[in-house]
Amino acid sequence: MSAAPSPVPAAIPADIPWRRETDSLGMWIFLATEAMFFGVLFLAYAHARIADPAGFGVASRLTHAWLGTTNTAILLTSSLTMALAVRNGWAGRRRSVIALLWATAALGAAFIAVKGVEYALEWRDGLVPVLRFTYAGSHAQAVERFFFLYFAMTGVHAVHLSIGVALVAWLAVRDRDPSHPVRRRETAECLGLYWHFVDAVWIFLYPLIYLVELWR
Amino acid sequence: MNSPPPVRVYLFTWLALMALLAATFTAAHFRLGAANAAVGLAIAAAKVALVGLFFMHLRRASALIAIFAVGALFWIAILFGLSGADYATRQVSPAPWTAPDGH
Repeated sequence: MSAAPSPVPAAIPADIPWRRETDSLGMWIFLATEAMFFGVLFLAYAHARIADPAGFGVASRLTHAWLGTTNTAILLTSSLTMALAVRNGWAGRRRSVIALLWATAALGAAFIAVKGVEYALEWRDGLVPVLRFTYAGSHAQAVERFFFLYFAMTGVHAVHLSIGVALVAWLAVRDRDPSHPVRRRETAECLGLYWHFVDAVWIFLYPLIYLVELWR
Repeated sequence: MNSPPPVRVYLFTWLALMALLAATFTAAHFRLGAANAAVGLAIAAAKVALVGLFFMHLRRASALIAIFAVGALFWIAILFGLSGADYATRQVSPAPWTAPDGH
């Protein structure tokens, strides 16, 4: 008549070393699948560009390199504030964490705003395939392919970034309540990994979109 | 990360990223032929390596996490390697019913 031991302890200790490892590992596995998701788009870009390199040069010159460069600087800086938020969380500096998370969300929102300006300019110039494509200069087919891939890749990237902004803002709000600080440090770390991954995708997009024929 | 890295590590990483951004933007203004794309991608790879090692803490990560990070790159390499081999070695043979313009 001995009571069967419960398979689950009443309370799992919050700050055990492998928990952090497990959380990060899960995030890395997810990011590996994300890498494959973006990978096929990059492969499509490579195929289309090799098919007509000059056409991609023409198309790239129709993009706004200064806006793209500004946005790259914004996103790299947002990765700094995100990394510092995670770092200060582990150092136990909660108030600076909240400020850094808000800075990260603001920089992410600024990136999306600049991207919106770019999209508006491309709509005005008739460079949106299917919906409004009026370009009739040289290499028109390659230019249309370039902009199709451009909108697909930057669009999917912007969706990822929007999700990141929403989650970072959510975490900043939640972090004001100090009742479960340990668990949230791990949430911040996983969110940080996601944020840096989205940054890394943009780092590769930047030269492929804006810098193809800047010398001309 | 029992003791987190000092803040200066993050600041230096950010400075290096900004310097690389300036370098790639400047280099793109010079006509280098095929090297234009190579320089752009090499600098992008260097930036991603910095982000991975110092912002995503891969430098201090366990072997298990490192395996998954490298595994992601490995599968990307398979994707590009096998697809590239296909496109590089096969001739386009239009079928008899292909339209006259080849599309």
